[in-house]
Amino acid sequence: MFKTFFISELKYTLKQPMVYIFMFIIGLLEFGATVSDNVQIGGAIGNVNINSPYTLTIHITIWCILALLMAAAFFNNAALRDHNNEFNEILFTTPLSKPGYFFGRFFGALFVSTLPILGAFIGLIIGYWLNLINDWVDPERFGPFYLKTFVNNYLLFILPNMFLAGTVIFAMANKWKSTVISFVGGLLIIVAYTVAGTFASDVDNETVAALTDMFAINTYSIETKYYTPIEKNTISPGFSGLLLYNRLIWVGVGLIILALSYFNFSFKQKNKKVKKEKTKASKTETVFALPKLNPSFNGATNWQQFKSFFHINFLSIVKSITFKILFLFCVIILIADLAGGFEYFGLQSYPVTYKLIDSINSNTNIFIIIIVIFFSGELIWRDRDHKINEVIDATAHTSLISMVAKTLSLVSIATILNIFFIGIGVLYQLINGYTRIEFDVYLLDFFYSNLPFFFVFGAITILIQVLASNKYIGYFVAVLILFGLNIILSVFDIYTNMMDIAVTPSIQYSDMNNFGPGLKGALWFNLYWCLFAVIGLLIAGALWNRGSKSSLLSRIKTARKEVPKSYRGLIIGSAIIWIAVAVFVYYNTQILNPYYSGDTQEQLAIDYEKTYSKYRNVASPKIIDAKYFIDIFPNERNILVKAELEMTNATNKPLDSIHIYGQEDWDMTLNIPNAKPVFKDSTYLFTIYKLTPALQPGEKLIAKLESNYITKGFTNGRGNTNIIKNGTFINNGSILPTMGYNEGLEINDKNTRKKYDLPEKVRTPELTSGVTELHMGNYLSGEQGDFINVETVISTSKDQTAIAPGSLTKQWEENDRQYFHYKIDTPSLNFYSFISADFEIAKRKWNGVDIEIYHDKKHTVNIDMMLDAVQRSLEYYTKNFGPYYHKQARIIEFPRYANFAQAFPGTMPYSESFGFITNLEDETENNVIDFVIAHEMAHQWWAHQVIGAEMQGGTMLSESFSQYSATMTMKGITENPMKMRDFLKYDHDRYLSGRSGERLKELPLYKVEDQSYIHYGKGSVVLYALQDYIGEEKVNNAMKSFLEEYKYNAPPYPSTHDFLRHLEPQVPDSLKYLVTDWFKEITLYDNRLKEATYKKLDNGKYQIKMDIESYKIKSDSLGNETRVGINDWVDVGFFMDDEEENLYEQKRVKFNKETSSITMELDSLPVKAAIDPRHLLIDRVYKDNIKKISHEE
Amino acid sequence: MSTLKINNLSKTYANGVKALDNVNLELENGMFGLLGPNGAGKSSLMRTLATLQEADSGTATLDDIDILNQPAELRKVLGYLPQEFGVYPRITAEQLLTHLAVLKGITNAKERKELVKYLLDKVNLYDKRNKSVKGFSGGMKQRVGIAQALIGKPKLIIVDEPTAGLDPGERNRFYNLLADVGKEVIVILSTHIVDDVRELCTKMAIMNLGEIVYHGSPQTAIDELRSKVYQRIVSREELQNYANDYKIISNKMVGGQPLIHVFSESHPQNGFEQVTPNLEDVFFSKINTSNVLV
Repeated sequence: MFKTFFISELKYTLKQPMVYIFMFIIGLLEFGATVSDNVQIGGAIGNVNINSPYTLTIHITIWCILALLMAAAFFNNAALRDHNNEFNEILFTTPLSKPGYFFGRFFGALFVSTLPILGAFIGLIIGYWLNLINDWVDPERFGPFYLKTFVNNYLLFILPNMFLAGTVIFAMANKWKSTVISFVGGLLIIVAYTVAGTFASDVDNETVAALTDMFAINTYSIETKYYTPIEKNTISPGFSGLLLYNRLIWVGVGLIILALSYFNFSFKQKNKKVKKEKTKASKTETVFALPKLNPSFNGATNWQQFKSFFHINFLSIVKSITFKILFLFCVIILIADLAGGFEYFGLQSYPVTYKLIDSINSNTNIFIIIIVIFFSGELIWRDRDHKINEVIDATAHTSLISMVAKTLSLVSIATILNIFFIGIGVLYQLINGYTRIEFDVYLLDFFYSNLPFFFVFGAITILIQVLASNKYIGYFVAVLILFGLNIILSVFDIYTNMMDIAVTPSIQYSDMNNFGPGLKGALWFNLYWCLFAVIGLLIAGALWNRGSKSSLLSRIKTARKEVPKSYRGLIIGSAIIWIAVAVFVYYNTQILNPYYSGDTQEQLAIDYEKTYSKYRNVASPKIIDAKYFIDIFPNERNILVKAELEMTNATNKPLDSIHIYGQEDWDMTLNIPNAKPVFKDSTYLFTIYKLTPALQPGEKLIAKLESNYITKGFTNGRGNTNIIKNGTFINNGSILPTMGYNEGLEINDKNTRKKYDLPEKVRTPELTSGVTELHMGNYLSGEQGDFINVETVISTSKDQTAIAPGSLTKQWEENDRQYFHYKIDTPSLNFYSFISADFEIAKRKWNGVDIEIYHDKKHTVNIDMMLDAVQRSLEYYTKNFGPYYHKQARIIEFPRYANFAQAFPGTMPYSESFGFITNLEDETENNVIDFVIAHEMAHQWWAHQVIGAEMQGGTMLSESFSQYSATMTMKGITENPMKMRDFLKYDHDRYLSGRSGERLKELPLYKVEDQSYIHYGKGSVVLYALQDYIGEEKVNNAMKSFLEEYKYNAPPYPSTHDFLRHLEPQVPDSLKYLVTDWFKEITLYDNRLKEATYKKLDNGKYQIKMDIESYKIKSDSLGNETRVGINDWVDVGFFMDDEEENLYEQKRVKFNKETSSITMELDSLPVKAAIDPRHLLIDRVYKDNIKKISHEE
Repeated sequence: MSTLKINNLSKTYANGVKALDNVNLELENGMFGLLGPNGAGKSSLMRTLATLQEADSGTATLDDIDILNQPAELRKVLGYLPQEFGVYPRITAEQLLTHLAVLKGITNAKERKELVKYLLDKVNLYDKRNKSVKGFSGGMKQRVGIAQALIGKPKLIIVDEPTAGLDPGERNRFYNLLADVGKEVIVILSTHIVDDVRELCTKMAIMNLGEIVYHGSPQTAIDELRSKVYQRIVSREELQNYANDYKIISNKMVGGQPLIHVFSESHPQNGFEQVTPNLEDVFFSKINTSNVLV
């Protein structure tokens, strides 16, 4: 019986086109991802093979989610087919077996549900074979196929995931007998999945996240988090570890659901509960008379009809179960997200309004969109579905009124939901004791972006449904427009928002700069789209299928009769306004502010390199002194710059020409004495000036620059986020032209380069010892300037403060504007910023240095702590490394369009989005905000006093050193060493997951090529461990003597070799291996505590025995690992508590065998034993280093 | 007094079916019965008159309203109950009728309220006015449908198979209601139930295969057949022979044996007896012109 139903289910489904269509869709997408880099599924893959087990598995996990909605169709069908065909009463009265029927249908549907995903395998293999012939992508990017990858993916992901989802959908379908509820069930599964995903955001919860993920997507990414490229290319997912446990758990859950559903299933129809009618006690006999009627049809009638339609539509949405379920889940998701707070490195942000807006939008918009799409179809097809259409259609109303009412009821639902969510947001703020509630910001944000979007999208989905010949085609087109349109447009290389329905420039609220530079454009685009929507509604009103179903063509023919005479005027009128607005928007976004499309940009970059790379080695003069006259007009968003740049020929040959590149959007005129332009290429803003006579070595010249940035109208995108009304922040790099060959214009992507026959690009020049040509430039300002003097006169509007590098020598008001005159106190790198905003300034004096925090008046809470952090840094660094050469240390807040902090000489711009709004009330010890300040302060030494040559290892000397310095300031105020382990775990994680995602090659620390996971992550870990092994003072001494040799020196600039030269003498011979292992090679440890037992001795002490496994691993740049003999010093220690906060009896021992056993005698009995208890060494699996101590048997 | 004129109205569906074939009718106030078997084109004609369907050619006017080209005008004076009448879920009968009253131009809230109550009472649903219509039985829904068709001040009421699903009591109630209204407006009642027409209508038409095969008063039609209809109970085996030999109008089972009616100018003898023709005979004789067994 089981077999009969199983086979018949297969036969039935396999005869339907659906399964093949789904399979084809997935196959096609996978095929696309295989043969083109433009199609990406789950992110770029870098130097991992296209067909690697890892890539395929990631794709499969993503397809599982998509396939879930497909599975919903199959399972729902299997459960409800007989019911829907009303065949059930016939079938169920035959003597068939319940298990045979139930499980036959279920497993039949299960098998069929897994088929669409197999399309991915087929797409990949076909892609691979066709690529062999067609060479779309480099065949070298494919590795071997492993049968195991396919089999295990099927058994570990496809089958269990479809099984689990299937049990839920099948159970729901059997219970409620409604297709809609089954699909909602499918949606709920996806929602539950995303909730589980939020657990994965913190390192600590990984195990929880891995086990709660019902589709094992996070589980797989957590398990493979530290995979090296080689491992990704060769290892298929396997039946082990968290993945296996996860699968067992969830298949178990599925079995339980299936069993419950089975026992609940019955062939008999459930008797519907009949509500007992309340019998009225007394029936009042009333006689009704037909009133005298005066039907009227005029403007007032239209309004009443509109209201009535609106009311009925609105009711039908809010009363529907689908709506209630979606609404409830939306609320749950939002609350779940808010409950997690706004975490950043273990700290919480204050719930500022924009954070809540972001949270509301990112969690709920998708639901509102689903509601709009779903109910657009419901509202349009409802009359027909319920067979009341002919009655409604035969009444005397204009179709437009009904269409507008439908649209506005959708918009109102969306609005009410949004307002409700804002209410939740406000409540959340109040519960957290945050009282700066900005209703205006909430509402304006809603009016500026969500409301117009809901209206436009609602109207368009209504139009689509009116035009579509059935509801599901309408849904499909609506989803396609929403999610697929920009993909389709980008395929055709179209980037204008004027084509991408309901899309506008983005706006982002900032406490400093309100809604920011995108607002103007967003409003115009909103107008453009709203008018478009109005026209769409007018068309929908004219083409509404009134009466019997007829083709679109015949509806167009009869439209004339259906609409009043004024209608044509209405359409033409709106179209004229719309076209006028369109012309204006086009003028602003395409003519005033043109941009290049993606393909054009790529082609330009390729052409540039092919045409001009012959100038790659052209020499340029260096800037040695700069005077600026800058006028910032915040309201107009204009900047006018005049500059005098003193330059010199620092080479040993005469310079007869200078190659100059202008900056995009800046209107530059450059006046160089004795020079005239001999070549101009306006595409690349490239000019060659001929110098007559040539500039002799050592000879100087003064170039005069006029450089203006004028904001014109609005742009297609958000526009420039640096030149804004409050919080303008530009650096000299964007004001000044660049000289020499402009490597920044080249294409970086390895595979694109290969495609266009460009030579492989050297990411960073190789590390060389001794002094070479490469040591003449540093990695920050290249060869364009060394340590120079800067003087600035800068003006801004009256209410703002403008900041330039150096001491403020004079400040005055003139022409209703504020003027400031700054002069740098010590020659500094040609790398500085100019800032203007309405600031409050907090000041503190420390040893002759002005510590200043420039901040928005709303952000005052953390200012004292920030002053402390600056002071603490100054104290530690001046004591350990040497003097601070500026007279001020400024932290300057800038709007949250970017989320970083950066160090310029004496000034450190710091984004408003962290630090200023982080809740530090309960923080007594180290925290990341202090850390970031300490890091930027450290750059005042490491980067601004000494900076690495432009070659491998350069960033170690600034970034790693700053990380180390900042870590040491934190160590200074940390009482419990275990706190440092807590803090450094982020660096361990950053390094290990960074190397896993490396797209080219991993390098040892001393050859780091601007790879942040190495110079930040590994740099922190290694230098912190080093000071623990050889002593803080020794490391500081090495750094200090290195600094002294090079600080503020003209070229040659130092390399990491030069630092290691200073480090060597500080390292005792017994630990010399550390320098090789940690700096010069890639070394990892694999330590494991197999067992820890104790025995109470007769003297009252405890003897602890630890069985240890210990390997040292060397890795090459791709992650090929080899074990090498271990002969290293490693700590062993104990914890007195479960939480591992109370470290007890730590000892550094030499490990020289792969397995060994250590016995120690302790006074007290600890709870846990640990290898490397403070996590100094890089170990991919650190957790197994610690074990509870058990009693020896 | 209104006049509905239909001239040469034709409609052929995309699949080639001729739904309306040169239909000509002229009606005045009063109940007009439209008889015809399933698929005769009744509903097509109704929908066309109710502005819900296009015609290929021909004209239809109600007084000075050109129905085919001024649908909006006609709708202002139209009451329509389609063959299949459904309702919105989760909405009460009162809400639904109120909504439809607004759509039919009853803008005065007080009038509307009175009207809805009056109609609910008329269709015997007043007690259930606050119940969701979704839970109504088929007959109850049909009653809501009838109520809505009477809203406003229609000049033309079109009801398509209105009594399907009504019990005999409800049917009578409905007919009384229609007859009340029908005095002052044109009521077109489409049905395949001959009795309905006989009981209610003074004028009628019979449609078959898109054509009007008879147009006149029921009594005239019956008179035309007077003393030309004969009946006889035959055995099943002989049925085919009779069909070959006589112009059979209809056959139906009576007590397990076929009872045939035949048309004949003179008495066919052979055991036939003359019967007084009824409308059913008219109906069958008009649509069964080829006299085949049906």
